[in-house]
Amino acid sequence: MDLSELDNRPFCACSTPSGTAGIGVIRLSGDGSSVIADKCIKVLRAYDEKISSCSEMPGYTACYAQFKDPADGRIIDNVIVTHFVAPHSYTGDEMFEISCHGGSAVKQEILRVLERAGARPAGRGEFTKRAFINGKLDLAEAEAVMDIINADSVRALDAANSQMHGELSSRLVSIEQDLYEALALIEMIVEFPEHDDTPENTDKITDICKKAVSDLDGLIRSYAKGKMLTERMKIVLCGKPNSGKSTLLNAIAGFDRAIVTDTPGTTRDTLELQADIASVPVTVVDTAGLRDTSDEIEEMGIRRAVTAVSEADLVFYLIAPDEDISSVEENLVNMDPNKTKVVFTKSDEGDNPHKDEIVKLLSERGISDRIEISAKSGFNMDLFEKEVEKTYEAAGGLLSEDIMIISKRHSDALVSASDKLISAENAVESGLGVDIASSVIRSALDDIGAITGKTVSAELADTIFSRFCIGK
Amino acid sequence: MNIKEALSIENAYMAGDYDVAVVGAGHAGCEAAAACASLGLKTVLFTLHLDSLANLPCNPSIGGTAKGQLVREIDALGGVMGKIADKCCIQMRMLNRSKGHAVYSPRAQMDRSRYSATMKAYLETLENLDIRQAHITDLLTDGEDKLSVTGVLTESRAVYSALAVVICSGTYMESRTIRGEVVCLTGPDGLPRSIGLSASLASAGIPILRFKTGTPVRVNSNKIDFSVMTRQDGETDVPPFSFDNEMNGIGVPQDQVPCWSVWTTPDTKEIISSNMDRSPLYSGVITGIGPRYCPSIEDKFMRFKDKERHQIFVEPMGRETSEMYLQGFSTSLPEEVQIKMVRSLPGLDKAVIQRSAYAIEYDLVDPVSLLPTLESKIVGGLYTAGQINGSSGYEEAAAQGIIAGINAGLKVKGEEQVVLDRSQAYIGVLIDDLVTKGTSEPYRMMTSRAEYRLFLRQDNADMRLTPIGRKVGLISEERYRRFIAKKESVEKETQRLRDTYIAPTDELKVILESVGTTLPPSGISLAELLKRPQVTYELIAPVDKKREPLPMAVTKEVETDLKYEGYLKLEKEKIEKFSELERRLLPEDTDYEKISGLRLEARQKLNAVRPLNIGQASRISGVSPADISVLLVYTEMLKRKDKEEDNDNA
Repeated sequence: MDLSELDNRPFCACSTPSGTAGIGVIRLSGDGSSVIADKCIKVLRAYDEKISSCSEMPGYTACYAQFKDPADGRIIDNVIVTHFVAPHSYTGDEMFEISCHGGSAVKQEILRVLERAGARPAGRGEFTKRAFINGKLDLAEAEAVMDIINADSVRALDAANSQMHGELSSRLVSIEQDLYEALALIEMIVEFPEHDDTPENTDKITDICKKAVSDLDGLIRSYAKGKMLTERMKIVLCGKPNSGKSTLLNAIAGFDRAIVTDTPGTTRDTLELQADIASVPVTVVDTAGLRDTSDEIEEMGIRRAVTAVSEADLVFYLIAPDEDISSVEENLVNMDPNKTKVVFTKSDEGDNPHKDEIVKLLSERGISDRIEISAKSGFNMDLFEKEVEKTYEAAGGLLSEDIMIISKRHSDALVSASDKLISAENAVESGLGVDIASSVIRSALDDIGAITGKTVSAELADTIFSRFCIGK
Repeated sequence: MNIKEALSIENAYMAGDYDVAVVGAGHAGCEAAAACASLGLKTVLFTLHLDSLANLPCNPSIGGTAKGQLVREIDALGGVMGKIADKCCIQMRMLNRSKGHAVYSPRAQMDRSRYSATMKAYLETLENLDIRQAHITDLLTDGEDKLSVTGVLTESRAVYSALAVVICSGTYMESRTIRGEVVCLTGPDGLPRSIGLSASLASAGIPILRFKTGTPVRVNSNKIDFSVMTRQDGETDVPPFSFDNEMNGIGVPQDQVPCWSVWTTPDTKEIISSNMDRSPLYSGVITGIGPRYCPSIEDKFMRFKDKERHQIFVEPMGRETSEMYLQGFSTSLPEEVQIKMVRSLPGLDKAVIQRSAYAIEYDLVDPVSLLPTLESKIVGGLYTAGQINGSSGYEEAAAQGIIAGINAGLKVKGEEQVVLDRSQAYIGVLIDDLVTKGTSEPYRMMTSRAEYRLFLRQDNADMRLTPIGRKVGLISEERYRRFIAKKESVEKETQRLRDTYIAPTDELKVILESVGTTLPPSGISLAELLKRPQVTYELIAPVDKKREPLPMAVTKEVETDLKYEGYLKLEKEKIEKFSELERRLLPEDTDYEKISGLRLEARQKLNAVRPLNIGQASRISGVSPADISVLLVYTEMLKRKDKEEDNDNA
């Protein structure tokens, strides 16, 4: 079996999101791509009029062309074709990118014709896998590439870029070095038992574990922030019916996402909006107003509101000028004071007469953050933005690190390493045995190595590439 | 040279036809020969001198850290070292008792001459084995594209044909012994050396290296003042090496001989420093590479300059001799300096040297030229084992010997070869390290080389390996029955301890508080109780009313398995991940030059070693984790294609 020939059988996929868009880009990669391209593409205009087929195009040039079905000569679309010559392409193999009109039918037809002409559909992440095998990028870069693609906000992009440039790795490498020293101490103790000139440095071993655990802990806590960047901060707006939740949501959206009327109970279901507030990607959830109701649908909506509150990173409890203290008291019972902030709304309609009493109640409940806004007039909307930023900055507590974990895989690995180091510490302190400590420290190093790239496992490579979509 | 050419030499004659010829009767050769003979193959074992068969030319002891584990594993597979060692043991100890069950290591002092005689007597009883004192000078081979062994030629012109040859030449090939400026052309212990065989291997295309090792002086105990030394007695509660003996109630001897220890003095350091110019290592007489973990005393002083003193152990060489061995005092300084050095030690100021220390240089085969079966990649049917493969130590040699013997035998029988992997045995770690990484110095087994040492314990070597020994054919039906009975007994007792709950009584409280732990608030299973570091199986005997008497071999294993349960589970998960990489095979014809994602060095190393699977590839020095990721993705893409082809064919 000639492996290399099989390896390079050209494959194709649409690299732009599915559905209808302005344009779509279809990629074709692998040795022999130009043979396939020549079968289906008729060059109409290239930078040099002598060029009459795709295979003649120099690398990094484009042409205007007709994409046809060679079976019946039917024209499918007019396209722009860019040619990449190996190894100067994303995959490192010969590649074409066909920019076509963005309709689903056009894209499907082009793929069907390419496949009939000898290409095969690409597997998940296969373009990047080829790039990887051809040495265009390493595993850590591949993973960072994925985070960069998925970055929805400037902060997430910064974090992904910092990872790609190895800042996290260099922190972890120094933890690894400490742990290797602990292992070396254990080996000294174990390998030369006849000699009493090798002191049992067990204190030193536990000290190293303790320090590593505290170092890892800082990184792990940073994931509270990182998670908000990758999975979005969930902000829930709740309060009594007609307290201005939907008005606030629309103000954030900049358009009428929710229907706003003077009738209390207009919003019966939870409404979600994705937005960027203070460069933090957020999902804002507007909920049904909290009140006793006999309306079955409205009651279901209220139950959803309660669930949303429990899952939220940040809850805004909105209080309109006409709300009295008893309903505030009742509704705040189940709220987590650490993530709840109070908003006095409709400040353009005047102050709530019970404001002082309410503020006193709030501080008894441990809620000190409150703002007054008018979403309608835009008054103090910047304070709302500040509260979001404050919550983001406070996530994970005060961090000694300026490095942030943004990947769940990384966070899981570090949590696992930290747990193991604690058990290593216990094994030494309880006298269970340094053999166990060394086994567990080695496992912790494997966990850390899964981030720094020292640990290889079949699972890991698969996991990283499985995060890619088909066309990447 | 082939058989025909050998027979055409003047006076050459055909001396015998064998299935397997084993060259060298040290610890590797004896295991290899015994294994082949037990597998029913017509075997011949050659030795340069019959009185030095299974010689212990260096320390008179077997076992120690990692080495003790090897002896237990050899025994579990059906080897001989453990049984002979048990018969000749004059002192036994379990090292590392305070450091955890996984690194418990048995170590025994041997009656040296008795060991040699007992092994010889045992091998002589084996039906299919002929033992022959002869000097093998040539390996006989045949074949066009690739050479295969056909036999051996002796110095006395005898030609033996063999379908497989196992060479275990120890430190004898082209050896020379060195004391200061004086070089002698002898093997170890003043024995004859092997001449010609190394050149014969080289001419077949086998890469030859040269290493150095050494041994300390022996002194007469009658001239030693032991009163100034620290006495070290043996222990009687240690199991013997052999599982068979253990299960049959044959323990270690009760009357044991003590060892002694002393520290070097400032005088020792002074004598050594002022004679360093006469050390062949530093003057350039020795060019072979010496062992890092078993350095000569002058090496220790040179390398650890801040250390003022080093510990020396004085060990008996047997019950019927006054000869004592000075462990840790190996040297290649001149004889006249050696006597001064010895007399600088406390209690040894009147000592008389009976044998002087020396360094020895010898030829060996680069182990990277071997398959994990210990068969040569270059000459088919040729196996090598022991120091010829770059290891040091009796136990390391015997471990390779049994594997080379088994595989030579299986090859002749046309059966599948046996390879132990790193998760199965220290033997697997040893061989994988040698054939994958090669070695730049005599390789010593250490527990830290094993990734899964919680699992690779000396107490469970039989559980790990006896089924393999049985499958191969080295474990008798009777012994296997005993093994199965032990296994069932371990499982039954483990389950009983899990199922037995006891109440927090005052009796239990007293017991637990006596070892510094506390009474649980409610009923607790005995298994849970045993997980506490302070609690032993013995300790809870008074509250374990339904306990039946069981052999220590069973109870120790039950205790360790329960105590380490959580950690063993973690290690099993690691082994699973490891095995997954071992299962990812690399096609034999892979051209690594064509995978441009691999770094240049990795491409070259992979093409040179040609690993069988990705796991082995990951252990080649110069192949980085990033390279392995490339191979993983590469093989995964191959796999997908195979699947597609299967679909196409279907």
